[in-house]
Amino acid sequence: MKRTARDGASVTGIGLVTPLGDATGFFTAAWEGRSGVRRPPDGHPVAGLLDAAGIAPDIDPSTVLPPTEARRVDRFVVLAMAAADAALDDAGIAIGRDADPARTAVVLANSFGGLTMFEGEAVARHRQGRTAVTPYLLAGMLPNMATARIAIRHGVRGFTSTISTACASGGYAVAEALRLVREGVADVVVCGGADAPLLPTIATTFTNARALASGWADPVEASRPFDRRRNGFVLGEGAGVLVVERRAHAAARGRPGYADVIGWGVATDAYHPTAPLPDGAGAAESMRRALADAGVAPADVDYVNAHATGTKLGDAAEARALRAVFGGHTPAVSSIKGATGHLLAAAGAVEAAATALALRHGLLPPTHNLDDPDPECDLDHVRKAARPLAARTALSTSFAFGGHNASLVLATHPGGP
Amino acid sequence: MSDVVAFTIEALRQMNFDVDDADSGTVFGPAGVDLDSLAVAELALRVEDAYGVKFGEEDMERLTVMTLGEFATEVESRLRLVDGAPA
Repeated sequence: MKRTARDGASVTGIGLVTPLGDATGFFTAAWEGRSGVRRPPDGHPVAGLLDAAGIAPDIDPSTVLPPTEARRVDRFVVLAMAAADAALDDAGIAIGRDADPARTAVVLANSFGGLTMFEGEAVARHRQGRTAVTPYLLAGMLPNMATARIAIRHGVRGFTSTISTACASGGYAVAEALRLVREGVADVVVCGGADAPLLPTIATTFTNARALASGWADPVEASRPFDRRRNGFVLGEGAGVLVVERRAHAAARGRPGYADVIGWGVATDAYHPTAPLPDGAGAAESMRRALADAGVAPADVDYVNAHATGTKLGDAAEARALRAVFGGHTPAVSSIKGATGHLLAAAGAVEAAATALALRHGLLPPTHNLDDPDPECDLDHVRKAARPLAARTALSTSFAFGGHNASLVLATHPGGP
Repeated sequence: MSDVVAFTIEALRQMNFDVDDADSGTVFGPAGVDLDSLAVAELALRVEDAYGVKFGEEDMERLTVMTLGEFATEVESRLRLVDGAPA
């Protein structure tokens, strides 16, 4: 089917599995300023290893998989599948009924593959030998299995792929969705990210790297993007899936969606495996490219949903990047990671969803724990409470280890939602 | 019912297969418990672990078309070749 080069794309479905619950729970709690961060309870794999974590709800694998498969699939896959089910349900799409299976795509991101399962099998092999290792390991843990099993479950026969750009992965997945729609490859893209890193080895390496927030007696206070007392991020888990749909396809179904995705920009630091460029130049370039792709001037951006994780260097670099891009114009800025912790590959997708929800409801979520904004991060912060603002255009940013930077531009529909 | 058949049924139950009506005559294939290749591989591992016998890659295709009773006979015949076979 011939498509115009610039077919628009709308977010018509949102499915979340986050420390604040599903999409409804997330929207309610994050906008009301409640936190999903807590101390891992006794019996949790990272109890005693982390003081604070963003723990997603338990999902019974048998709700998304046949019983014989449910035993042997990593948690990141289960979280992704549950979020995909919710997103498609929210969009009112059954593949085959409402969307052509061959013109439906799945692009799910993750950082680690199924390390929960791998760590368990490695320990079992060490203790009990060869016969302790399940033959199902690869079918349960390969990085592509979230994408593949969503495709299997929903009968998706079009473009499928997996992205792994660490903490920027979710943003890249949404960018890829926009490209697929514009290029005429897909009418419907199930896109997003999932990670389940709350296991002993990963918790320990992040702790040993001194990357995590520490010393907070109350775990709820540990995640504090842009705050003067921030001292690291809070490790979290979850999944965020969006249905990004060709606008004409959505309109034909009578589904205008939450907001449109109108631009993407990617830039790479080429600097250091984990540290961002101190001046945030890579981050800034991804923002400029996204705005140029969208055909939007910096002055037209009303809101920025920031990547800000609560690290000293990262938040300051992002603030510098935002000031460099926006100059004298000061869009409202907030980061939801204060309420959720850092959901790694899920973060960019959850935050694209948060941006779409902010546009849809004309209400910007606050940055949790931003009690005393760091002068290094001088921005127009949304803090203490949600801010009513009929924002029309918003930016969502995602940055990562490896120097990957992705920015997305979302907008309300011309003429209103 | 032989010990091996009972063991196999219990193993399949733990693997979440429906074995409520299974007996020696039940086949592993689609007409019976309907095991895929990974499930056959896991079952073989469980039997190897419990009985000390060994299956090779070349055995897998043959196992897939057996009944539970034929499988038990196969395991028992291998068991006789194992010195001091553990239970």
